[in-house]
Amino acid sequence: MFIGTDKLTHTYMPGTPFASDALKNISFSLGRGSFTLLIGPSGSGKTTLIQHLNGLLKPTSGKVYFDGKSIGSDKSALLSLRRRIGLVFQMPEDQFFSETVFKEIAYAPRNLGLAENKIEERVFKAVEQVGLRPENLLDRHPFHLSTGQKRLVAFAAVLSIEPEVLILDEPAAGLDPAGKLMLFNLLSRLNRIEEITILVSTHHLDEVAELADNLVVLTGGRLEMAGKARDILARRSELQDLGLALPQVTEIIDELAARGLPVCTDIYSLSAACNEIIRLKRVDQS
Amino acid sequence: MSRSITLGHYLPGDTVIHRMNPRIKVLVLIIILSMLFAFKSIPGLLTMLLAVLLLFAVARVPFRYLLKGLRPILYIALFALIIFLFFTKGGVVLFRLGSFTVESDGLEEGLFVIIRLVTLVLFSLLLTLTTTPLSLTYGLGYYLKPLGRIGLPAEEVVMIMAISLRFIPTLLEESQRLMRAQVSRGADFESGSILSKAKNLGTLIVPLFVSAFRRADELALAMEARGYRLGAKRTRLQEDLIKMQDWLVLLTTILLLVVVLYMNI
Repeated sequence: MFIGTDKLTHTYMPGTPFASDALKNISFSLGRGSFTLLIGPSGSGKTTLIQHLNGLLKPTSGKVYFDGKSIGSDKSALLSLRRRIGLVFQMPEDQFFSETVFKEIAYAPRNLGLAENKIEERVFKAVEQVGLRPENLLDRHPFHLSTGQKRLVAFAAVLSIEPEVLILDEPAAGLDPAGKLMLFNLLSRLNRIEEITILVSTHHLDEVAELADNLVVLTGGRLEMAGKARDILARRSELQDLGLALPQVTEIIDELAARGLPVCTDIYSLSAACNEIIRLKRVDQS
Repeated sequence: MSRSITLGHYLPGDTVIHRMNPRIKVLVLIIILSMLFAFKSIPGLLTMLLAVLLLFAVARVPFRYLLKGLRPILYIALFALIIFLFFTKGGVVLFRLGSFTVESDGLEEGLFVIIRLVTLVLFSLLLTLTTTPLSLTYGLGYYLKPLGRIGLPAEEVVMIMAISLRFIPTLLEESQRLMRAQVSRGADFESGSILSKAKNLGTLIVPLFVSAFRRADELALAMEARGYRLGAKRTRLQEDLIKMQDWLVLLTTILLLVVVLYMNI
């Protein structure tokens, strides 16, 4: 178990009439170098779960593990933990506070106490990792960038820690489908090339689902399913019972299959659906 | 999560006391507070203390909330008691150490003041624990209305108070989120010199202000879009009707005040 939880329960405001269980008895684990999608409708406890993984929240009961050790409350241990696990919050661009993009990205390495030339090195590396060009960007005011660019700068601001694990809370919120796809391709690349373990939360299944190795499904603070992405995507009726809609293209393909066409139903992305339909056409013509 | 932050003391519930009209509640509290100052003896005050404890039971407020509410006045109460023990003389000598004496009048007056203070705080606590901050604002705002005649924009002041109250939890939540995000990026808000702490605050204040201004802008637009105009007469979705039982409570309190004043107890 590289990172995970054991019987994690979290109660907000325990002992008051406002007490509510955000997480109930959650046990799951992720392997080193994996790419996992945490799926659940809004209010299912995704953000609460994520904030346990780098020690921002303390479990009401149960344990959180990282690299074989239980996460405690020792301060220096937490500090070193947060150098290894990068966490990107929802709408991270709302949190900018610097007057230049450079300073924004340099904030984390500066907090690590690195030398100025090292900081600069990391800023350039992080900017390139998210696929932006450093020239004309680093001196600009972060508020003046486009939404997509802001989001990428916010990612770079966390990547500059050089984390082993990158956790992102709803990273695609507010982006258009093209932006979303671009973003998940970027994450997939970071996962493959930089070997960063990635956990991404999202509130619905769509075509990015197949980019992940594993899926973890959370509803109402309970862990409903966890496992290989393809296996879980195949359990369609269960997913629908949990109120999670399948990717639109999958629904179209399923409908074709239901009408008796010899279609392969293991399809979750637009491009795969296009290829499949073209293949069907060819079979039909020959 | 807004669940982790509450404003003031309000404890949701659905009891007779929770349902009382906030306007009447505020007025009744003012009468009761003046009544507490009309009492001249300990037995009278003790009756009121007993009464407020009974009301807490009716409102189903757990006992520890009372203790929590009383904690801030603990030292004031102790201080008052000591002052009276030292400086008020008369009655029987209870305790003697050299030329220093504690006499029964001092003890009696000290206890009198403490019981009055505790009862006063408990009655106020009962109001804030059983009334949402918003209805409390409207309740208080009602008595500001006559000030409109001398040019004070009472409606607007109440609106400003209500909006401020509404956004305190939002801003708290937001600053908590920002702090967590920055802690995730290696910030340390707990240790370090005062200078570095002040520097850290800057990274919180900038995004907090940016979002507060954006919210203010959006809220103003949304309000205007729904027809809010300065100086216009507003009606409310939930009319705070004064029911028969509210009038009865008010009447009983006034009668009690008259009796206390007349009997001079």
